[in-house]
Amino acid sequence: MNIDPENKCVLNRKVHIKYLLRFLEGLPSEFTSCDTTRITIAYFIISSLDILNSLNLVDAERRNHIIEWIYSLQVVNDEDLVSGFQGSSTVNTLFNRNSNSLYKWSHLAGTYCGLCSLIILGDDLSKVNRGAIIKSLKSLQLTDGCFTGAKSGTENDMRFLFMAASICYILNDWSAIDATKAIGFIKNSISYDYGIGQGPELESHGGSSYCAVATLCLINKLNVLSTMQIEGLRRWLLNRQVTGFQGRPNKPIDTCYSFWVGAALKMLNAFQYSNYEDNRGFILATQNNIVGGFSKWVNTHSDPLHTYLGLAGLSLIGEKGLNDIVPSLNITYRALEHLRHIQLQWT
Amino acid sequence: MGDSSSDDENAWVFYKDRPEWKDVDPVPQDDGNADIAAIRYTAKFKDVYDYFRAVLTKQEKSERALQLTKDAAELNPANYTVWQFRRDILKALNKDLYEELEYSQHIIDEHPKNYQVWHHRRVLVEWLKDASKELHLTELILNDDAKNYHAWQHRQWAIKTFNLFENELAYVDQLIQDDIRNNSAWNQRYFVINNTSGFTCEVLKSEIKYTLEKIKIAKENESAWNYLRGLLLHDKEGLSKNETVTNYCEELYSSGNRSPFLLAFLVDMCDEQVSQGGGDMRYTLERAEELCNSLANQYDKIRTKYWQYMAEKIKNKAEGKSEPSPPSDDS
Repeated sequence: MNIDPENKCVLNRKVHIKYLLRFLEGLPSEFTSCDTTRITIAYFIISSLDILNSLNLVDAERRNHIIEWIYSLQVVNDEDLVSGFQGSSTVNTLFNRNSNSLYKWSHLAGTYCGLCSLIILGDDLSKVNRGAIIKSLKSLQLTDGCFTGAKSGTENDMRFLFMAASICYILNDWSAIDATKAIGFIKNSISYDYGIGQGPELESHGGSSYCAVATLCLINKLNVLSTMQIEGLRRWLLNRQVTGFQGRPNKPIDTCYSFWVGAALKMLNAFQYSNYEDNRGFILATQNNIVGGFSKWVNTHSDPLHTYLGLAGLSLIGEKGLNDIVPSLNITYRALEHLRHIQLQWT
Repeated sequence: MGDSSSDDENAWVFYKDRPEWKDVDPVPQDDGNADIAAIRYTAKFKDVYDYFRAVLTKQEKSERALQLTKDAAELNPANYTVWQFRRDILKALNKDLYEELEYSQHIIDEHPKNYQVWHHRRVLVEWLKDASKELHLTELILNDDAKNYHAWQHRQWAIKTFNLFENELAYVDQLIQDDIRNNSAWNQRYFVINNTSGFTCEVLKSEIKYTLEKIKIAKENESAWNYLRGLLLHDKEGLSKNETVTNYCEELYSSGNRSPFLLAFLVDMCDEQVSQGGGDMRYTLERAEELCNSLANQYDKIRTKYWQYMAEKIKNKAEGKSEPSPPSDDS
């Protein structure tokens, strides 16, 4: 592996902040494949700045613009049960502004990333139609306990169960989830190697293991796992470490798994058995010192997802100057505290 | 990612310049004026999507709209609304779905790691109730990337839904021969057996033999060791009482092999014997500690702290104490 000794040990904060602020303004045209998930990109950028303790670089007026933009993606539609947040404005027009129309549907990723971003930006969620979101969310749970991403046209897997649980956690209303069924789905997705796949019988994967553990953590049901299952999963997750972490056995390591696998281990109270130094060395080797950001591998293009998860991975090991990240919800503890404050107003 | 500038870029005619679209007014995107993570669309992208929004608004389910969704999907195959609308048009026009199946193969081939194109495929197969092309399609994709999660997920779904197990074990076998470290193939092996013969005594015996032979070829292959552990979940006696396995492991150890997966397996056998008592006298607390130490200090140093923890855990268990409590971490 080609690790540049000069950037091996230092987090290049300045260049990453510049990169993030640049991407917050606009994305180059190669990003068209993210056109329906711009809110997710925005979340990666905003939460990255929060981890870097640099949200103050986005001034109050700009922050309000972002908050307004996120609310412009909120759909309230009890009739078709598609309430929540859209991932972007791709299908929004002057004709359906402030009104509902066919295909103007929320998506679980949009709702999850939208809510997280609002919290991080200090919004009080007063314009979030909680009742409508919960009502629509409830209709997305499938008979096997998993969730589908939107009313129609999307797949279903562990990612969506995690997002559904996060939304319920944020809105402090669990009536949208049949927890028994959700737990059943997770348990059925535990593989023979004790890792967890995207669904029953699928190959164990670092990302889906994260989603499953985080879901159990958010619904406060980690205790449904047996000692064998917890010990086995800890071992499987710890075995993902090579220097950085891989997502599956015999696959290359990738920056994002420093968070997915690291956070899952943290929730299982076993992250401290991993090797922080090697992990840190790998993550820092994937930062781009010229344009900024992190990439999945050393010497490849940086992108917002790997930038965020690289920083979140570093935050897990207590990197100096970074705010701590909540492993289950994937926002900072600072932002979580704000959420707690908001939730108090609801009761 | 993206809007590739293909060779025929010059030949591209904007929708706004096409006479057959003269009757339609393009509908611009309404994004507010905030420019948050705004994508700098190419002129082509903006043009296609302005017309896509126009047909979406009008609910125009026509041949030309169907063609338009193809252009929109090519510019962004991750746009699930485009695919949803395309399916709605296919239904409305009663189109030949086998033709669409062919098109979907082409687009999956171009974007094999895109969720939406695989979802489109799955809906088509559900509509047709015909999965006869799915094994071939996924094999094509797995030829390029034998660990493509989407392909495996689709393949498992097709096999389970349409009962296509018949030749699957032979296929898995071939893949494992091609790459003994292909964890996806090992997972598929478990999937097939679990859904067909089940892990009967006889199957268990032959699978253990198969796996041990594979371990012999690559002793540091986690996939095979994990599979072996998975097999023993079906052995009522547990991990540490299958003579074929214990003899194999002991011989391997005596020959001087120190694969961390072998040592970890031996640790787990000791762990089981320490907590259950009885059985094989080779698997003791002392041996567990010794093995953990050598893993921690020599053979698996990246997990030093883990093996120290395991040693302590097994010791506490033997002494009837509870699990060592690490510094607490809330989440």
